[in-house]
Amino acid sequence: MKSAADLQTVVEMTRSIPCAPAILPKLLKLAEGSSSDLGEMEMLINLDTGLATDVLRTANSAFFASNQRCDSISDAILRLGSKVLYRIAASTLTGRWLVHPVRGYGWEPGDLCRHSLCVAICAETLAKKMHLGDAATAYTAGLIHDLGKFALAYANFTALDDITNRVPDEFATWREAEKVILGFESTQVTKALLENWGFPSTFVSVGCYYQTPSECPGRERKIVTLIHAAKHVATQIGYGVGVDGFYYEPDELALKEVGFKEEEMDAAIPEILSTIQCFISPSGEIRFT
Amino acid sequence: MVFPSNPVANQMPTITVGVADYKISTEPSTFLMTHALGSCLGITFHDSKRRIGGMLHAMLPTATLHEGEKIREAMFLDTGIPRVLSALIRAGAKKGDIRCKVFGGAQLMATDNFFRIGSKNIDMFYRLSQEMELDVVAWEVSGRVNRSIRLNNQTGDVIVKIPARPEFIR
Repeated sequence: MKSAADLQTVVEMTRSIPCAPAILPKLLKLAEGSSSDLGEMEMLINLDTGLATDVLRTANSAFFASNQRCDSISDAILRLGSKVLYRIAASTLTGRWLVHPVRGYGWEPGDLCRHSLCVAICAETLAKKMHLGDAATAYTAGLIHDLGKFALAYANFTALDDITNRVPDEFATWREAEKVILGFESTQVTKALLENWGFPSTFVSVGCYYQTPSECPGRERKIVTLIHAAKHVATQIGYGVGVDGFYYEPDELALKEVGFKEEEMDAAIPEILSTIQCFISPSGEIRFT
Repeated sequence: MVFPSNPVANQMPTITVGVADYKISTEPSTFLMTHALGSCLGITFHDSKRRIGGMLHAMLPTATLHEGEKIREAMFLDTGIPRVLSALIRAGAKKGDIRCKVFGGAQLMATDNFFRIGSKNIDMFYRLSQEMELDVVAWEVSGRVNRSIRLNNQTGDVIVKIPARPEFIR
């Protein structure tokens, strides 16, 4: 398979995956608004029974609960606030998609989900520590950064085995092997999926350029570089890293341009790890909410 | 691949070691395992005479960057290794009978300035193993692979799992 038509096939196949995170962009818009439309948010959440359950459970958890029990989504929205609510939605919807069992990249079940969650937490922590923009946006960008790989694995291409067998003997990097063997890169699949679902341009840029942030035009380069850094930090931590994980080149130019320093990133790891371990047990079970 | 043909080993309970954690076991019929080392180091300790084993999953080389902070000793090699050794000795192991095996320390593609935890961990472990006179009998480190390991406390064997490859024993 070596054509743009194949890329389109991959994107089309993912349409049949249940619970794709397509309502996220709508929720993001509502959560970002200065006067969030609670009615519309309630309607969106109620469209998804699993999400509605998670929202209610969180609103009634020990952390958020008050004297009064929260029995409706509208009460839960008021109690949690739109930012917390969006985070729950991003984790629940994306996580549910990413844990879908697929073959490829040497993944064990749930590996992509574990890794994406780690990238999200790394991005959120580094965004806060280095004042690199909105931490919630960074978190979501981390969750969705590699959806294209999920789509490729879901499509069950034997070409993925070919890449695995030929890196590193014939190709130094995973990207090079994708270009030659597939005819396109997984980042192109991510871009196409996010565009189809109507994600804002920030996320599309992350999906498209996170492996090569220096190539990202304009003002979105900063968040793209943040996800690039977060991806590499998460890879070093190890959770869910597949056979491809260590075959991507760090973009030193972009990292320096944004002001990343190795010692600062290393120093952030204990905090990042503590957060990750709130969501992933020692045996690898994931608990999003 | 010993497991499929070894029904006794298949039934042995497994103790899981998280990242920045350590565990020891005085029960011979036990596995100690840890997942996805990445650039971390997983170090196994085994006293074969007394069948006492331990495993450390350390993320970073040294705690010196975090002086004055409350730290998890097992997060760092320089605080974690002494901690595991003292726990093993308290449990009855003899320092001179403990053999170590070290795994992990995977490295990203060459950079001069970023993401060098894997190589820093390996360098630090090498230094500490000399200083502490550890008997290191196996090194399965570096490279671009994410390793998971399982120590058989009966034999001291370590089963290594790497994505998309068959398991092997060190």
